[in-house]
Amino acid sequence: MIYSMSRHTRALLSFCLALGLCFLSGINHSTFAASIPHGTVDLVAENSWIAPGYGSTVGLHFKMEPGWHIYWVNPGDSGEPPKITWQLPQGLVAGEMQWPAPHKMGASTIVNYVYDGDVVLLIPVNAAASIAPTSQAKLGAMVRFLICSDQMCVPGKAQLSLELPVRARPPALDSSVESMFTAARAKLPQSAPASWKFSARETRDSFVVDVAAGHAIAQAYFYPLVESQIDNAAPQGFEATTLGARLSLHKSDQLVNHISRLKGVLELGHGEAYLVDAPVAAATRKP
Amino acid sequence: MRRSAFALIAGALILLVAPLLISAPKIGEPAPDFSAAASNGKTYHLTDLRGKFVVLEWHNNGCPYTRKHYESGNMQRLQKEWTAKGVEWFTVISSAPGTQGYVTAVQENAYLAKMGAAPTAALLDPSGDLGHLYDAKTTPHMIIINPQGVVIYDGAIDDHPTSDAGDIPNSKNYVQAALADAMAGRPVTTAVSRPYGCSVKYAGASH
Repeated sequence: MIYSMSRHTRALLSFCLALGLCFLSGINHSTFAASIPHGTVDLVAENSWIAPGYGSTVGLHFKMEPGWHIYWVNPGDSGEPPKITWQLPQGLVAGEMQWPAPHKMGASTIVNYVYDGDVVLLIPVNAAASIAPTSQAKLGAMVRFLICSDQMCVPGKAQLSLELPVRARPPALDSSVESMFTAARAKLPQSAPASWKFSARETRDSFVVDVAAGHAIAQAYFYPLVESQIDNAAPQGFEATTLGARLSLHKSDQLVNHISRLKGVLELGHGEAYLVDAPVAAATRKP
Repeated sequence: MRRSAFALIAGALILLVAPLLISAPKIGEPAPDFSAAASNGKTYHLTDLRGKFVVLEWHNNGCPYTRKHYESGNMQRLQKEWTAKGVEWFTVISSAPGTQGYVTAVQENAYLAKMGAAPTAALLDPSGDLGHLYDAKTTPHMIIINPQGVVIYDGAIDDHPTSDAGDIPNSKNYVQAALADAMAGRPVTTAVSRPYGCSVKYAGASH
């Protein structure tokens, strides 16, 4: 995978040089992918330039060899999510990383929430109105992560950078990366429709989550956004109801305090995933 | 279509297997007994260690989180301090053959010498039986058993779940604190935490 990418990069470069078009071709939207253990990572900008007073989005794009994975914001029973440290020019501020719905991976006792193959983590970057136009603003990012296979885990880090001009007019979308960003956004969990209601109650060893959607839900899986609340490896109870669904989530042995809210991502299949933030009613004592 | 059929089958399998799962030993409950071979050639039985505190430390010498605590000398310092106070400290290696961290007795003895590690012994558990008995999830994963044979701590080594040794000076070491509490006759302040690190590389793991 690394080799095919560098062949591709070389081909692109020689094509550019042959036509003398490098400065016009807009390849500055992205750094070349950095080689990491068992894959590559690069930073990609959605817009062709930064504009004072406008927000934009960059993507942290991991490509992994088959059999290797990185971790979601809640990694599950082991592992650690990627972390990014920015080096930004004055006037640019990066926001929180946005996490697509993960998938569950694991044996009977150790369960992880991961990404494999190709994943883009989106990060908003806002430009102050006062930022001055320049031909090249350099966005630097140090990325640290853990990448694992069935057999082993390897730490990875990469120093990435992205050079973009700052221009005093609204930013234009870079059409060469539009489909990548559209696909990445489609994988983010969405806010549930306003008419939906989530509620949770606590029993001795479980959280029972009710989803009122106005229609029956055929399947659902709950990915906990916070560690040590539910037992990742325990099978989740699922029951379709006439107007939604009821899930039963076994409590984590590591949960020692009462929690007032249960936060997570509810995946309904077919790429449909919603953010859940449900108030938890305390356990009711039976007479 | 094919994916949903697979999910149904996988779901059915999980339901079949679930009742067979052994749940992790709980704080305040008796530690499950074991007998395990060590790299020093001896065999250790938990029941022979009544009257002493016992620490179990899951280990994988290639895992970045294990390396954090060994290359910094943090784990060795703990081992020396507490074995000097009479604690029986066992490094447990549950990596299956062919996976990261698997070692033969000869390789482990060389590693212990090279790193200046000072556990009572390193238990070799390539079958993963001891790891599964205690539901060890990560390297490192730390368990403390009191002189009465009761589990008094289960979780992480400290409160900084990273592979960066630079975090150690700012970390609260849960094992240090639990042993100090228990030896002074106090209840353990933090008895449970989320263990962090690489997953234990068990035989037949599907990840």
